[in-house]
Amino acid sequence: MSALCRRIPSLVNQLRIPTFAALKQQKVILSLPTRVLGVNLFSTKPPPSINDKLMEFFDDPKNWEQDNIKTGRSWKLDELRIKSNEDLHKLWYVLLKERNMLLTMERECQTEYRVFPNPERIDKVEESMENLETVVRERNRAYFELETTEPAERPGKLEMNQIGMRYFYKHSEHLIPKVMNRKWREKVVHGYEGNAVKKFLRLKAEKLRDRESWKTHSRRRYVSRIFSEYPDADAKSLQEAFPDVDVEAARKHIDARGNHDKNLN
Amino acid sequence: MRLLRALCGPVKGPTIGELTLKYSNLPERYVRRAMRQIEYQTPRGKPQYLNRTLERTIFKFSTNRPWTFEFQQDNAPRKKIKRELIEPIKNWSFFRGDRVEVLIGKDKGKQGIVIHVFQEKNWIIVEGLNTEIKMMGEDKKNNFPGMAVRWEKPLLVTTEVKLVDPSDLKSTDIEWRFTEEGEKVRVSVRTGRIIPMPPMAEETIDYKTKGSYREGEKDTDPDELSKITFEPKLCTFDMEIMEKMGIKEDRNYAKTYWY
Repeated sequence: MSALCRRIPSLVNQLRIPTFAALKQQKVILSLPTRVLGVNLFSTKPPPSINDKLMEFFDDPKNWEQDNIKTGRSWKLDELRIKSNEDLHKLWYVLLKERNMLLTMERECQTEYRVFPNPERIDKVEESMENLETVVRERNRAYFELETTEPAERPGKLEMNQIGMRYFYKHSEHLIPKVMNRKWREKVVHGYEGNAVKKFLRLKAEKLRDRESWKTHSRRRYVSRIFSEYPDADAKSLQEAFPDVDVEAARKHIDARGNHDKNLN
Repeated sequence: MRLLRALCGPVKGPTIGELTLKYSNLPERYVRRAMRQIEYQTPRGKPQYLNRTLERTIFKFSTNRPWTFEFQQDNAPRKKIKRELIEPIKNWSFFRGDRVEVLIGKDKGKQGIVIHVFQEKNWIIVEGLNTEIKMMGEDKKNNFPGMAVRWEKPLLVTTEVKLVDPSDLKSTDIEWRFTEEGEKVRVSVRTGRIIPMPPMAEETIDYKTKGSYREGEKDTDPDELSKITFEPKLCTFDMEIMEKMGIKEDRNYAKTYWY
């Protein structure tokens, strides 16, 4: 306890409490302007307390009873690309605070069984933040590719796991090289072997092939049915919508027969 | 993770009409989120469960817009909905405010103005035409039969409606052609006159015209938006921010290996 007391410096000596006589001598105080940069120095309003700062988590009280709050659209990529890094840094925090405020309001509305007005505001803010991150990543990538051999993003590689499935293995930072890291080599094993894995891969491939063939079949069938219902349908737009379907073959298929005059020929 | 998502390709899901999104003034991301009907989802964050979601892929589009409660009710999780055959239209030619002639039904030959466009079903609603009388607010207890309301029925864009040439006010087929300036316009095949885009076409739920939109507190000024403050420098985002904020990094880092 005595050791603690020694570490905490004495505050009494540091507080210079002026005497009444000294105050009378300080005439300079009276000649100071009362408003500096729009802030009233001698205001009777209390300084912003922790409660006022916490209230930033909530919307303007005017909006609490509103059914429809109009907001503008999200920031586009091209609009963010012309802004400086400092501006983007500031914008990020503005968007972050807005997102926190909206999520708080959403939660509050849920707890009070009220309708949260205009939930698309959250999507607009999230879209802006995603676009901002994309722009920052682009700029970092440009520098890294120009100046260094290191990657701009966290390095990673598509690897094969022990059951023969490919996955994106994200590299992590180590203090010792791979050759010395026995624990890592035992834990992270790439590549497979064994008949059980080969059988699993055969069955997995069969399942995927079956699903793909069903999908291509159903797409071709849908196109044929469109022709059966609308024999004058635009083949070009159908080909654009379904690039892997042979639209001409689908038109001549028996599924494309419909109850219309064209079939009489 | 975002990079991988980009590699996976464009957003998959039902095609929401371009004009629907434009009219709603909502981000596509929100509309898709509001449309989602999840029947079952495996618990996340538990290693014994793989991430699987049982959700609706085929939706019933109608005059109810995708973000409304009625659309949600129509597409409730366990309802059986068959995929509808919708004729794909390459160049959509019908916009809000267009003068249009009805070709079928009681109002055959009459002209009206388009007030709603439902691209997902190739539908249009013309003001006051192709109507039915609906009895709304029926109260059997008090013997009140309900109020008779004239309700407009949707019309198919391909066969039941034709655009009207403003020069002679008669129906005509149209083609999309380019002007000398390079602008894509609708041209009447019969007369060769241009059918201009109606001013109501740029109307949305939030505003009638782009010029008349009143900015809110949190909206950025258009001058501020187009101001170029970017100065290309040979440094990363982090380096520039550290310089501006006076953060100095002079710690020596040990050599690390990435694998």
